[in-house]
Amino acid sequence: MRVAYAAVLLVMLTAGCVRATSVTPVPEPPQVVATQPATPPAAKPAAPATPQPGPVKAPAPGAKPPAPATVLAAPGAKPPAAAAAKPPAAAAAKPPAAAAAKPPAVATLDLNSLEERLKGTKAIGLFTKITLRGQVNDLLDRFREYYKGKAKLTMTDLRRSYDLLMMKVLTLLQDEDQPLASAIVSSREAIWGLLANPETFATLEE
Amino acid sequence: MNRLSKALAQSLVAVALVAAPSFADEQEEALKKDLTAVIALNGLPCGQVIAVTVLAESDYAASCKDGNKYRVYLNAEGRVIVETRK
Repeated sequence: MRVAYAAVLLVMLTAGCVRATSVTPVPEPPQVVATQPATPPAAKPAAPATPQPGPVKAPAPGAKPPAPATVLAAPGAKPPAAAAAKPPAAAAAKPPAAAAAKPPAVATLDLNSLEERLKGTKAIGLFTKITLRGQVNDLLDRFREYYKGKAKLTMTDLRRSYDLLMMKVLTLLQDEDQPLASAIVSSREAIWGLLANPETFATLEE
Repeated sequence: MNRLSKALAQSLVAVALVAAPSFADEQEEALKKDLTAVIALNGLPCGQVIAVTVLAESDYAASCKDGNKYRVYLNAEGRVIVETRK
């Protein structure tokens, strides 16, 4: 009996000491929040589709910047008129009827969903989340000042700050919440489109 | 039967005693990781937080691997502040 007791105790102590690493099931990749037009790689234009920090044209405060190429489903934001994207030369080889039936390039962005997922993720600690929120608010303040014409900033400066902040968020997420990191990467340009347009930015403020 | 129940109860107590510190360790590790990220986000050198002392609620003293020491706290405006300590 004593032997049995000792054995049970030993087994349970051993079990208690073993730190079970919880293997969380890797969820399926989330639905792409910001969808890009499905164009074959060969059909890509020579110039990059995504605006880079360098060549970003800074619209003068008050001036109307070009409408973003993506339709944004931000709360209250009216979708800009979707420009009928002409297929590149390689894509032109397709039958014209198929090309005409193709819906215009549209990307949707669910900011509320992203916000909720960021709030809920366990990949980022509470203090880190509060710090990030502070940095996001600082960036929004800089945009606000820029659109009021008070700041000496350029749109390139803002884009640099935005990219840096995105990198910080992605660095924190990429190892432990890859689906969310992917969703943010997909939405990156769409979010920039919202911020870089004074009209859509104003709707975010409401 | 009675002896078996007693043995089982004693075993459970022993397991709980072992498991509780392990849970506390995990929480402390999570806090260290959180503070490491906060310090890095503020652009301050640290490397990795190796020790944390709770000064008050949402107020911590963090010691870094590279020897730097910081106070990390939540101010009245709800912002996380990182101050260098000597």
